[in-house]
Amino acid sequence: MSQYIPMQAEIIDIDIQSPNTYLIFLKLLEDMEFSYRPGQFVMVSVFGLGECPISIASSPTRETLQLCIRRAGRITGAIMDCRVGDVLGIRGPCGNGFPLEEMKKDILIAGGGSGFATLRSLINYIVDRRSEFGQVAVAYGARTPQDLYFMQEYKGWQQAGIDVGVTVDIGDESWRGKVGLVTSLIDNFTLPPGSAAICGPSVMINAVAKKLMERGFDHADIYVSLERHMKCGVGKCEHCMIGPYHACQDGPVFSYDKVKTVI
Amino acid sequence: MMAVLSRDNLVPLLKRLSEKMEVVAPILVEGTPVFATWKGEPLALEENPLCSPVEFLLPQKEVLFSYVQYSGRYTFEAALWRARLIFGIRPCDLKAISILDMLFGAEPHDEAYLARRRSTVLVAYNCIRPGVDCSCLQMDAGPGGREGFDLQLTEIGSGYLTEAGSPAGAKMLEEQAEFFSEAREEHLQEKEKLLKEAREMLEPREDRSPSAIKNAMEKADWEALGKRCLACGSCTLVCPVCHCFNILDQGVPDGQRIRCRDCCLLSGFSRMASGANPRATQGERLKNWYLDKFEYIPANTGLWGCVGCGRCSRVCLGEMDRWALEVKR
Repeated sequence: MSQYIPMQAEIIDIDIQSPNTYLIFLKLLEDMEFSYRPGQFVMVSVFGLGECPISIASSPTRETLQLCIRRAGRITGAIMDCRVGDVLGIRGPCGNGFPLEEMKKDILIAGGGSGFATLRSLINYIVDRRSEFGQVAVAYGARTPQDLYFMQEYKGWQQAGIDVGVTVDIGDESWRGKVGLVTSLIDNFTLPPGSAAICGPSVMINAVAKKLMERGFDHADIYVSLERHMKCGVGKCEHCMIGPYHACQDGPVFSYDKVKTVI
Repeated sequence: MMAVLSRDNLVPLLKRLSEKMEVVAPILVEGTPVFATWKGEPLALEENPLCSPVEFLLPQKEVLFSYVQYSGRYTFEAALWRARLIFGIRPCDLKAISILDMLFGAEPHDEAYLARRRSTVLVAYNCIRPGVDCSCLQMDAGPGGREGFDLQLTEIGSGYLTEAGSPAGAKMLEEQAEFFSEAREEHLQEKEKLLKEAREMLEPREDRSPSAIKNAMEKADWEALGKRCLACGSCTLVCPVCHCFNILDQGVPDGQRIRCRDCCLLSGFSRMASGANPRATQGERLKNWYLDKFEYIPANTGLWGCVGCGRCSRVCLGEMDRWALEVKR
């Protein structure tokens, strides 16, 4: 059987995060084990259109597989046009995920835009296994207040003892939070240099990494999740090459020292 | 294990083999040598065709699987491969296949490629008359093949010295013994002499060794080269090592998931749905093409990602010197 043949998953719920972003809840139809780690992704099929890579937004500590879909291209658009009960194809999990065994216990998590979806998997994993981690802080920036995802969950994260900072590029009349860059949130955190998990546009990744290194983080302890165009998800088609690495196999999570010259 | 095939027996042997499986061989199509399904046409063995027989392992377009929808659920059917024999594959292309075997065989395996590969018999043909663009010697890919073939033919005075390179090849020699006569030491010596002469023909040419190319890469003005590159994709189309592909669907609600060849020199290759493109300029894309062949593939396979077949140079519409990495005019 070809590894290109996907499993089928039924959409069991859809949660609207923003006008162009939905959180989709999936139930695998095949009786197959599907275990994953925070930071991994799946190749999602809409039959007749093709596949695209989508990071897993749920934590493996919780039951339902959730994908956060932002309308960006043909396939994400088609996924968002699906209804509860429709079937998608799923291949994976793909990629490496965050190396939780190697990461230090104090973790700073920084996300920008839709890159926050993969970090939510990590955050909820930490919440569910809180005793295994030390000081944890989350810095999240989006373009506007409407573009902020998972807003109803921040309180629960704070109750689990996680520092949560949120900022937007452009506020509106109802917005009473911060306006500015993600880097500005980091100054407010007291956590000591440990590990970091970053996902977002490369400009933001570089700015946050620079800031963290100034604060004493080692560049090898800063893990970045990189977005690339992907087709096969198994390291063969060469679309996602980042220098000598394949983002779909060697990544999407890389330690910053490995990739800082190529992002 | 080796034997001698007389000139008169070559076509009858291929006819016999084609009763069992599809035989692909170089033939003339509108005056141009191409690898195609052989149906008894005269063989075109003078030069290596511009399009390599890798096409039969990683086709321009192939079906990965079919999907059939029934009340919102899908059933899938994987594509099946027929047994096939490729006759007349040159040592450079043979080496390209060994590189692809490693890349597609690395975990996780690419079953679609490997299934096709497993059902393919390779009958190689040594180059005793290298082409003008060839630099296989400097890439350690020719003019004689050392491994990776099931059978290998070398044209000698009395016919073709045929050597088995795998158990399957040895079995073929046994099964088709009626076409062969015994090979003697003098046949082997003749082969070695002809290959030595071929190496001498390749020797005095300009330095196109990996180290020379890597030196050129360090000095290259990629943005200037990028301006000369027309992004036509011709070099990736003819390169036997190039293997970039795309996956897409054809058909609603039932249809096929297709794998088709892609080209890393095209601007959309790495561009994401957001519009962001990690390799935004043609110069960056060209540099990546070279880095893949001379750094990344060697790191992953231990082999150069170039086999010195010279095809990229022959087809370059931008008229770049593909080895010196200079604009020709």
